[in-house]
Amino acid sequence: MKKNEFTPFENEADCVQIGDLTIENRVDRVSIFGSLDLTLDKEGLKMAKELKGILDLTLSEMEKLDLPAKITALAPETIKNPFA
Amino acid sequence: MQHRTFSLLAVSMLLSASIASAAQTSCPEHFANGQAPDLVNQKLAAKNLEVCYSGYVARHSGVTRTPLYSAEHLTRERLLQGKGLKRQSKFYPDPNIPASERAELHHYARSGYDRGHVAPSADMFDLQSQQECFSLANMVPQEPSVNRGIWEAVESATRKLTKDRGDLYVVTGPIFSGDNIQRIGGAVMVPTQMFKAIYDPKRHEAGAYLVANTEGAQVQIISIRQLEQLSGIRIFPALDNQMKDNAMRLPEPKERKRRGGR
Repeated sequence: MKKNEFTPFENEADCVQIGDLTIENRVDRVSIFGSLDLTLDKEGLKMAKELKGILDLTLSEMEKLDLPAKITALAPETIKNPFA
Repeated sequence: MQHRTFSLLAVSMLLSASIASAAQTSCPEHFANGQAPDLVNQKLAAKNLEVCYSGYVARHSGVTRTPLYSAEHLTRERLLQGKGLKRQSKFYPDPNIPASERAELHHYARSGYDRGHVAPSADMFDLQSQQECFSLANMVPQEPSVNRGIWEAVESATRKLTKDRGDLYVVTGPIFSGDNIQRIGGAVMVPTQMFKAIYDPKRHEAGAYLVANTEGAQVQIISIRQLEQLSGIRIFPALDNQMKDNAMRLPEPKERKRRGGR
């Protein structure tokens, strides 16, 4: 995985799909969801390397920082329904 | 007096004729009979823009900074063409919408909500349509477990139905119901529910999936008539009453964990 394709925590834009697995970049998380078979063949190996590449980049970013114990999401505001 | 009554009648007939006709569209190819949905609830029509792309059309609201719907004409050929497409894309704010009306990436940041595709990326057939569907004009804030669970299953069931039937017209969108609405990033409104309406032009039948935007939500199958009442949008203007009142049999969406391995 090249760094310009997925730069963990740097932006809210990057999205990579490996098999049925989706990996989305956010500034406060890397979201990984879906499912993936790493089959014991060349195709499986290629996907395993791609996934490892992203996880390696993610881990190295995380280890550089002084992380809080747990983050919380910003609370949404409540407004009047404009369509009611 | 008699003359005045007549002209009032004529005006009201003209008005009802214009209300009954479909909304203007620059890309009729995405709609059943080329007719775009009608915004019956006039409050929905504020700050409204249509954005036409190759794989879908979004009717965007600058009030919610989300689409009110995205529409697609799904075909078996199109889905087969998109199979195995390398899905690497970037979410982006839509340059076709004024900055004062559109969602920006930072509005979603740290919100805990997913950027949920309204027209799904797995429906797209080439790199261009794939990239266009990552426009924030095609996104709503979606509860992550819904986006990745039951809603993904609804999208998947719709693709499977397309492969069985050959082609379907699909209109997908958020519903904002209740007195109060949640808003993230000071800008983007969080839907209370999501719908996916389906029309089979060969069998002349239609129906819709409805899913709440909350953890643990279940899917409901409803008629187009019920959906019109909930959404304030005349989804498929060309349908007759019989097609609107009777929900077609839609396949039950199966979540990934229950679908089993392949």
